[in-house]
Amino acid sequence: MSAPEASRVFYGLADVLIPAFDRMPRFSDVSSWEDAQKSLDFRVDLKEAFARGLTVDLTGGAEKALETLNATDVEAFGAVSTIALATYYMNPKVRELIGYPGQENVAYDSKATQSYLTDGSLAKVVARGSKYRATPGL
Amino acid sequence: MGTEAGDRRDSRPRRDEEADVVIVGAGPSGSVAALHLARAGFSVVALEQGDWPDYADYTGARPEHELVSTKLWHPNPNVRDNPRDYPVDNSTTDINPLMFAGVGGSATLYGAQWMHFLPSDFRVRSLDGVADDWPYTYEDLLPYQLEIEREVGVSGLAGDPAFPPRGGYPFPALPMGSVGRRGALGMERMGWHWWPGSNAIPSEKFGELNPCVRRGTCLTGCPEGAKSTTDRSHWPLALKAGARLVTNARVKEIEVTNDDFASGVVYIDANGRDRRQRAKVVILCANGVGTPRLLLMSRGPRHPEGLANSSGLVGKRLMMHPFASVLASYEDPLDSWRGPFGQQVYSLEFYESDERRGFVRGSKWNCMPSGGPVGVSGAVGSKVYVAESGRFQDFWGENLHQNVARRFGHSLIWGIVGEDLPDEANQVVLSKDLVDSDGLPAPQIIYKVNENSNRLLQFNIDRCLESVSAAGAIETLVSAPVRESGWHLIGTTVMGSNPKTSVVDQWGACHDVPNLYVLDASTFPTSGATNPTATLMAVALRNARRLIAERRNQKVA
Repeated sequence: MSAPEASRVFYGLADVLIPAFDRMPRFSDVSSWEDAQKSLDFRVDLKEAFARGLTVDLTGGAEKALETLNATDVEAFGAVSTIALATYYMNPKVRELIGYPGQENVAYDSKATQSYLTDGSLAKVVARGSKYRATPGL
Repeated sequence: MGTEAGDRRDSRPRRDEEADVVIVGAGPSGSVAALHLARAGFSVVALEQGDWPDYADYTGARPEHELVSTKLWHPNPNVRDNPRDYPVDNSTTDINPLMFAGVGGSATLYGAQWMHFLPSDFRVRSLDGVADDWPYTYEDLLPYQLEIEREVGVSGLAGDPAFPPRGGYPFPALPMGSVGRRGALGMERMGWHWWPGSNAIPSEKFGELNPCVRRGTCLTGCPEGAKSTTDRSHWPLALKAGARLVTNARVKEIEVTNDDFASGVVYIDANGRDRRQRAKVVILCANGVGTPRLLLMSRGPRHPEGLANSSGLVGKRLMMHPFASVLASYEDPLDSWRGPFGQQVYSLEFYESDERRGFVRGSKWNCMPSGGPVGVSGAVGSKVYVAESGRFQDFWGENLHQNVARRFGHSLIWGIVGEDLPDEANQVVLSKDLVDSDGLPAPQIIYKVNENSNRLLQFNIDRCLESVSAAGAIETLVSAPVRESGWHLIGTTVMGSNPKTSVVDQWGACHDVPNLYVLDASTFPTSGATNPTATLMAVALRNARRLIAERRNQKVA
């Protein structure tokens, strides 16, 4: 399968998996075939199943093709959907839309007094008394 | 590797050298033994089938993290498919065992939840009439526990009434975050126990460990070098004390003399060659699957059922802590991708037995963030909440966007760890047809979740749903028992005083082979319901100290 043909099939499947909805764009509005190829480079274990998934028959439409793929070749369905999903949520615009900065570094003061020590919430736990079973002589 | 230890890590013993001690496995228990024995003047050689971690391989700070970690850092070795791990035959188990081969061991992929056993865990038979008592008590082990916490760099808050009074933690508790506060709110509204999380993650710089920055990727390797694993907490010190560590060394057999003393081990080196490491004492620290596997592989004409197995109990009584999880989503933002991942809050409300509940023993709950958008989508990355028979449209299309909008940044996960009771039918055996990359037989796991565990989990799930609802949850998703949850591998070379009903004595010495020791959680008679790393490191320290004290009396080949 040529790269243009493969990308056409992939966009068709990916846009059914990830359509436009509310303020969120569909897959092909923000992510490209090249982005998906970069994702595959991180997961070379998926390449074979991904390529197999793109040979699915689209004549009945992309949704029907995905149903067939999910029923007959779950590994290929998993590869195509994994790459589409991960590529989409790696996209900076998508991350901005959902408010995800990535797994960020958050500075804090380790010596700062935590609120549970001053608002009385932990004191209630202490006031309820001990919970363990002591075992003297056993 | 990113630590100074990397510059002094390779110091292979000379051929035919006899070490005082050879340790199999460089994870939490093996590391403790290596450090303390080396400091006491023992010549120590440790053999680790994996390699040193390369912190540049941890993807937590990079955009591709969720995509990469579901393969490269998956806790199931069968999914990771790394030749340094051994595969596991999981065709006969309800729960998959999870582990990692490398310096630091399976803790490389743990959540660093730090919680030692409670007094009742050592007296299950006396209190509840089931399973067995330990040969020693909570009070016996506590001094070692506190010492280990100082070595590990644990953060936490003292004063929890769920424990007897004990010393404080070396470092202040990590920030609770919105996830922890919401989890605590539900517990408080129910009038139930909760406490700020204790974690093997220092909140301040400690030795070669950096302070936690709440990256939230603890389960897939900490790129900050903040999560305490023994490649950073123990091995730099052990190497400095003279211990030698050989990586990419897969032990295939323990050798014994005709009068049943261990004389060393045979291992396969990185080039596929058989090598022999002679030693006066052999210590196994290869986890509750790897340790019995090695004993079973060491069978011979005089030990046809496996080494140290006159009791027939090697590999049996496997406990893996059946685990349930409850994901709860809320209207307001919780920044639920932020760490620490291990436990921001825990609860021991239902830890102790209550016969009115219809089961014995209890559970520990831990409140965790739910992670990034791929994981909470329910589509890929975390199949925990996806029914196998579900239509793909349930998780894709508009439903994908709705699920992510509802859960991402707005959800928490309560993990429920249930005490697992020993059952000889739950066991590790050698696979008849699956082998590792060196052609050695893989372990096969035979394990069923029993009725007590099922009742225990259902009771706790019901209570957990009450708690999250009390805190305003708008959606809950339950999974139980979680198949990919066998982090805790316990009980397969049980300790006891009777050689007919146990494999090792209270010091970890095999009844059948007096200079062969097991210092990992394989020796635990019962499993408790806490994450076992804290207790197994304390037990390893206790038993290493005994080896040091009795060195002149140790019988050797």
